[in-house]
Amino acid sequence: MSAAEGDLLHTVDADNISDSRIRLGKLLLWGSVVLMFGLFAIQALFDAGAISFGFENWRPVLFGYFIWALALCVSRVLIYGEQGKRSLFVLPAALFVISMVVFPLVFALWISFSDWNLASLTGRKFNGLDNVRQMMSDPFYWNALYNMLIYTVVILIEYAIAFGLALVLNANIVGRKFWRVTFLLPLMLSPVAVSWMIGKSMLEIRFGPISRFVRWLGWENPSFFSSPELAKFMIMAMDAWTFIPFMMIMILAGLQAMPKEVLEAAEVDGATPWQRFWEVTFPLMLPVSITAVMIRIIFKLKLADIIINVTSGGPGGATDSVTSFIFREYRDRSNVGYGTLLAIVYLVIIVIFMTVVLKISDRIVRRATGAG
Amino acid sequence: MKVDIYEILMAKQASRRDVLRGTAVAALGATTALAGLPKSAQADSHVNVREAILQIPGVGKGSPTDADWQKVGELCLGATKASVQEGEFEGVELTFMGLNNQNLHNFLFRGFLKPWEAYTGAKINWIDLAQADYNARLQQAIATGTVDFDIIEMGAPFEGDTAGKGLLDEMPGWVETQIEEDDLVGYLKPPVGTWDGKKYRITIDGDCHTFAYRTDYFGEGSITGMEVPKTWQEVNAVSKELVGKEDPLTGLPAHGYLDPLKGWGGFGFYFIENRAAAYAKHPDDPAWLFDPDTMKPRVNNPAWVQAIQDVLDLIEANAYPADQINADPGTTGFQQFLAGTGSMLMWWGDIGSNARTSDTSVVGDVVGFGINPGSDRVYNSKSGAWEETYNEAPNMAYIGWGIYVTKRVSGDEKKRKAAWSAAAHLGGKDISLWCSAYPSGFQPYRNSHFIYDEWEAAGYDRAFIEDYLGSNADSYNHPNAAIEPRIPGIFQYYSVAEDELAKIYAGQYGSAQEGADAIAAAWEKITEQIGRDSQIALYKASLGL
Repeated sequence: MSAAEGDLLHTVDADNISDSRIRLGKLLLWGSVVLMFGLFAIQALFDAGAISFGFENWRPVLFGYFIWALALCVSRVLIYGEQGKRSLFVLPAALFVISMVVFPLVFALWISFSDWNLASLTGRKFNGLDNVRQMMSDPFYWNALYNMLIYTVVILIEYAIAFGLALVLNANIVGRKFWRVTFLLPLMLSPVAVSWMIGKSMLEIRFGPISRFVRWLGWENPSFFSSPELAKFMIMAMDAWTFIPFMMIMILAGLQAMPKEVLEAAEVDGATPWQRFWEVTFPLMLPVSITAVMIRIIFKLKLADIIINVTSGGPGGATDSVTSFIFREYRDRSNVGYGTLLAIVYLVIIVIFMTVVLKISDRIVRRATGAG
Repeated sequence: MKVDIYEILMAKQASRRDVLRGTAVAALGATTALAGLPKSAQADSHVNVREAILQIPGVGKGSPTDADWQKVGELCLGATKASVQEGEFEGVELTFMGLNNQNLHNFLFRGFLKPWEAYTGAKINWIDLAQADYNARLQQAIATGTVDFDIIEMGAPFEGDTAGKGLLDEMPGWVETQIEEDDLVGYLKPPVGTWDGKKYRITIDGDCHTFAYRTDYFGEGSITGMEVPKTWQEVNAVSKELVGKEDPLTGLPAHGYLDPLKGWGGFGFYFIENRAAAYAKHPDDPAWLFDPDTMKPRVNNPAWVQAIQDVLDLIEANAYPADQINADPGTTGFQQFLAGTGSMLMWWGDIGSNARTSDTSVVGDVVGFGINPGSDRVYNSKSGAWEETYNEAPNMAYIGWGIYVTKRVSGDEKKRKAAWSAAAHLGGKDISLWCSAYPSGFQPYRNSHFIYDEWEAAGYDRAFIEDYLGSNADSYNHPNAAIEPRIPGIFQYYSVAEDELAKIYAGQYGSAQEGADAIAAAWEKITEQIGRDSQIALYKASLGL
């Protein structure tokens, strides 16, 4: 059987592409490339003041990119026929990712090595590694990174609570469905709503119901955000309250998918409830747990909204997160170049950190489950 | 056209056609129909409108609603009707960017402009911003060339960022006449609102911080037994004295002065300025934030350090409410002072009108006003020494909101006239009286706002209103007023200072001086980044040097 015959199941149309069609495809593609780079070159030179003609803004270059993207897709079909049509399933998505992720990232990298204050009349100026030097000696950034470390470590406690709740909700308790929905409710709330509802209203020191309650318990002058430790704890508690249900629901799903026979076998073998949990349930739940914790870490690293709304990073930076600090640097102080560098560095740290954590967790899972 | 003017004309046997012709002529000639009326009729119509709007909804009858704002807008439409024909702006769409603080500002503007939209046929789209988002939104729009609004509510400090970059439309002459600009208090007249000699601003607010205090805390037989403090030294002494006592109104712990210890998107810096102004604003020197020749910050000189030390002393003495480190100015003003916590506060004047008219205030009957407390001594930056002499310097914080029109409308005359007409409606003489008298986010800013009889007739207590308005008038007319520099990026300086102040208040620096030095260093960086030479030139210009 020939290759062509073997491909008949997949190829609707046996291609017979003419040379002129291939030439047209190539012409279209390279024409659009020339157009795009030509527009880019003209605008770049005009912007730099090297030539006297150009466009009012960069929009024509964007249109050049759109034309190139379209020409690329059309040329695939013209040049490769049916094979080219297959690439159309992926190409638009790939171009979209390039436009919305890769290009902004490269552009961010570009501006992160520049001195760009929005209030400055001179606009953006390349300043080499000055922003990096400034970052190295910026106590606010390092303080925020330290806080993030603490916020992230505390996820282990959140995980323990979530596991406990999942076990309870997996057991035969009265009103199980009701409790499942109830425990999920905080996840449905926006962190901004949580900030105002709890941080600003329920914890308001004079009239807030929680303040009244703790006053009734004997704490005469309750104050939830006055000391660095307590303020940090309150922020972590509010954030945890919102996101513990997320981990809980993932672990619960894992528990329900777990084969009952294994636990029954352990019971028959005389294992105690604790042994059944620690030697059977917990190791089997590790893959799900790792996923839940990883996603939770990603959520946590973005922590900003509750902090911005409730404490503005205070007292004295005790609750500041990297995102909330960048938010102030970028937004309140219009320091675009430096703010972007901080964000890029944070991204690099996150990528390295997550890679290491994934490697380690993978090893733990393999060891615990005896796989590999 | 206003009903009462129409009735006056009818009384003079003018035919309906004459009336309409008069309006059209007025619109074309950019003169007012009122010009043809006897002076007494104009004055009467003003008086009638002012009396009528001050009864909406009536002092002590709760917070005004959208229906009330619309009624006020309708009654104040006379000046617009005189210069614009009905339906003249049909098809025009304008975008208005402003604030939504305490559900005021844009919320009021919507109500005020609804009758204007119905009459002129124009449509307004709204961009509402929280106070803390305002600076960033504006700066980003400017820097990225994406100014997407035709009319903007903006403070004079941003004139350097906008007018300085050629983004604003110059105010047409007829607007000046319509809003009766010569009625503005002195310090709001040019150079405020102008750039390179061109006028851009319709003032809708006068800003200064005034001193508000609880009358039941002071005087013979009160819990302090003292007179109202006149200096910051006395303010601190009373605040320490009150530790452990009970508030006579609420029965909760009594407190003295309420410093906001948390940032507020840059706006929180004004509050340390209040204290510093008394120490740092020398009568012989218009500058007090920077050295005008070098832009070297003065924020770490002994005067500013003293102001910061005052706050640290009160923290040390445990004189603030429990969670003060987490209190921003919104909290100190609205959640604390108006709700009965604390006895002394510096704030914009709207605390005064809210004290009596807001549903959330409990201190309406026990509130008194004065100007920014002074100091027993003042620091002379030129000689580098303290002078043992009494000094006071009201802080003209933010200079006040204004309405500006952007260049986006400049190419389209119809749209341009519509934008300025809407802006002029909001900046009208009568509507401004209502804004001064009811919760609006704005405080008195015209000489005509200080006619106490009008306020008394509206239902305000004469003594209260003389006290409240008097504190504003005294601040505006003070010879040693501390006026804010209209330089680009001013809020960057404030924002970075807020971050450092938060650290100082949390005890992370060894001393107030060390913290102040950190602020100064951060300010130097910002000046370098924005451009020292241009900042020096603009700072000097804003000081009139």
